[in-house]
Amino acid sequence: MEEQHTKPEETAPSETHAEEAGTPTINIDNLSMRQLMELDACTRCGECSLWCPAYEQDKKEGITPRGRAKAFKDIIKAQHGLWAKLFGRPGVSKEKIDQFVAELYECSTCRQCYEVCPVKIDTVELWESIRRAVVNAGCGPLDSQKNLIQSVKSYDNPWGQPRSSRSRWAKSAKRQKKIAEEPKDITKQKADILYFVGCTGSYDVNVEPVAINTTNILQAAGVDFGILGIKEKCCGSVLLRMGDREYDRIAQENIRQFHELGFKTMITSCAGCYKTIKEDYPKVGKLNFDVKHTLEYIIELIESGKLKLTKPVNLKVTYHDPCHLGRHSGVYEAPRKLLKMIPGLELIEMERHSENARCCGAGGGLKSGYPDIQNKISQTRIREAEATGATELVSACPFCYQGLQVGIQALDSKLTMRDITELVLMAIEDKAEPAAAARTA
Amino acid sequence: MYMYFEATALLYILTVFTLGIFLFGVYASIYLWRKGKAPSLHHRLLTGPIIKALILDALLQAQLLRQSVVRWIMHMCLFWGFLGLLAHTTFLAVMSHFIPADSALSRYVFLGPGKPFLDVWGDLWGLILLIGLIIAFVRRYVVKAEQLDSILMDNTALIFLFAIALTGFLSEAQRLAASPYDPSMRYSFIGTMFASCLRANPALIADYIPVVWVHTLISLVFLSIIPFSKTWHAFVSPVEIALDASERTPLGERYGGATH
Repeated sequence: MEEQHTKPEETAPSETHAEEAGTPTINIDNLSMRQLMELDACTRCGECSLWCPAYEQDKKEGITPRGRAKAFKDIIKAQHGLWAKLFGRPGVSKEKIDQFVAELYECSTCRQCYEVCPVKIDTVELWESIRRAVVNAGCGPLDSQKNLIQSVKSYDNPWGQPRSSRSRWAKSAKRQKKIAEEPKDITKQKADILYFVGCTGSYDVNVEPVAINTTNILQAAGVDFGILGIKEKCCGSVLLRMGDREYDRIAQENIRQFHELGFKTMITSCAGCYKTIKEDYPKVGKLNFDVKHTLEYIIELIESGKLKLTKPVNLKVTYHDPCHLGRHSGVYEAPRKLLKMIPGLELIEMERHSENARCCGAGGGLKSGYPDIQNKISQTRIREAEATGATELVSACPFCYQGLQVGIQALDSKLTMRDITELVLMAIEDKAEPAAAARTA
Repeated sequence: MYMYFEATALLYILTVFTLGIFLFGVYASIYLWRKGKAPSLHHRLLTGPIIKALILDALLQAQLLRQSVVRWIMHMCLFWGFLGLLAHTTFLAVMSHFIPADSALSRYVFLGPGKPFLDVWGDLWGLILLIGLIIAFVRRYVVKAEQLDSILMDNTALIFLFAIALTGFLSEAQRLAASPYDPSMRYSFIGTMFASCLRANPALIADYIPVVWVHTLISLVFLSIIPFSKTWHAFVSPVEIALDASERTPLGERYGGATH
């Protein structure tokens, strides 16, 4: 934990103050007045702890939203409060800050706590702002999360892969005849639709079939679309969730690039990219295009008659709501509507679904920071899915796909993990067999 | 004067002192909040959603009702019981200090038809508060509900409220027990019940004024520390509920579009 207090390169000197005995001061400028007020609004009812997926696996009060709010309030009152100003700082031990930071990152930012909070504290926005404050102070993120962040800064993706191989999935798919044509490069040929593939779909060979299936669906519907190819950069979600302010630069650069291309609609199969671009980018800069999740766009294609799902897919499926698509963006009905449009498909809901869907544990840096906790969270979700009697577990997010595979493997579950695009492609007549994502984490 | 309690200079001094500490606490909170420099709102404030949220989620606490009927009853009792008693005391204070005793209003309130109403009001809201406190006590210390984490601030709030409710009823019971029976006493229905217990044990009957002072001191201390305590949420949470409703409404409209 000592290394967590090493001042990161990007931290401006004015934002970090050496305090007594080497304890850093956590500057709270980046939080809003409302967020600081929210710390006082907590009623300590503990409803959040009943639903928190991390607390379900690791019963530490400090990782509950209630515990985090109190711990942070204690720290900043000691460092910035009126008492501290009038009578001197009582001092906050480095150990206390270390412990707080460790607990702050033991969270998948799934937003379940907001859903159940009786006073509607905007928890995830609060955690992300606090994370940024601790990162600015040189106290975060966790060592195990730094590689992801550094990779985004160095390679524009969190997986440590070179930029030049971002569109390798398309070339490879074309070569293997998994797609009829490579999607056109929108930076060279204009199109109204940009398919933003996302880092996980582009680089993770286990998940790249999501991109292949999406491409096949769009081509089957005759959509004029393009991809950014090697010019596509990470949406910055990883940085935003972990509190790194480099996110602002990435978001601004991406927005500038998007605007220069002049497309009308962006679609993405990644719930994380969707949430970040649709919900978070407008706080950095205005967007002049619509953002849709692929499944929302597919529904439009079906309803306009451009795409026909006629081939029966006789499977029993259960749907996992990705947190960034559901609780963060409010898209609950669209995936269910799409699944019901697939002939022969039977959808069975899990006990906890929609607003109360359990998280897979992969988001918010939890998978990199606390892989054992993520594994347990994923297993809990898989058991819940198994209890439905479904044979397939469907989702609409490559990151959830990865996260849930962890649980499937740990439990040696018979469930088959599928992205929703795979099922859609199965229902299209005269199409080649959909590319199935590898069933490994 | 109050109905049964003469306000003294000491009471005035203590009240001013209480208000001073309370306001200092409010200032200390706002001082810290103002350290935040990022924008608090991303949309303009919307009056309609704010009013709706304040009625549904602050006054009626509908979100809590959806989660647990028991918790909803408990919190509604605590919230409305406390507010009802605070309003009772505030009304009496205003009447005693600002309305002439020989005015028609004072005569109506203290000697006329208003008196039974005030008696029922005080006992009813006191009973409601007590019911809420008993449920809270049972959940926290007997049932030990899984979601609760009892630390000093949780225990302090409960103990203070219990002490306020009990000393309030005890002072009333002492006053009633020491007085000859009068049919109008029935309006103080809880106090009368406790008074009958005291009459059964005359040794327990004492001058009610010291008990009123204990009740007053506990109440003043409780009020003075509100901004430093867990109870501060009663003032801050409605603001958060209102702001959230205003901020979420534009997103809700967009969600509707996103989901066709």
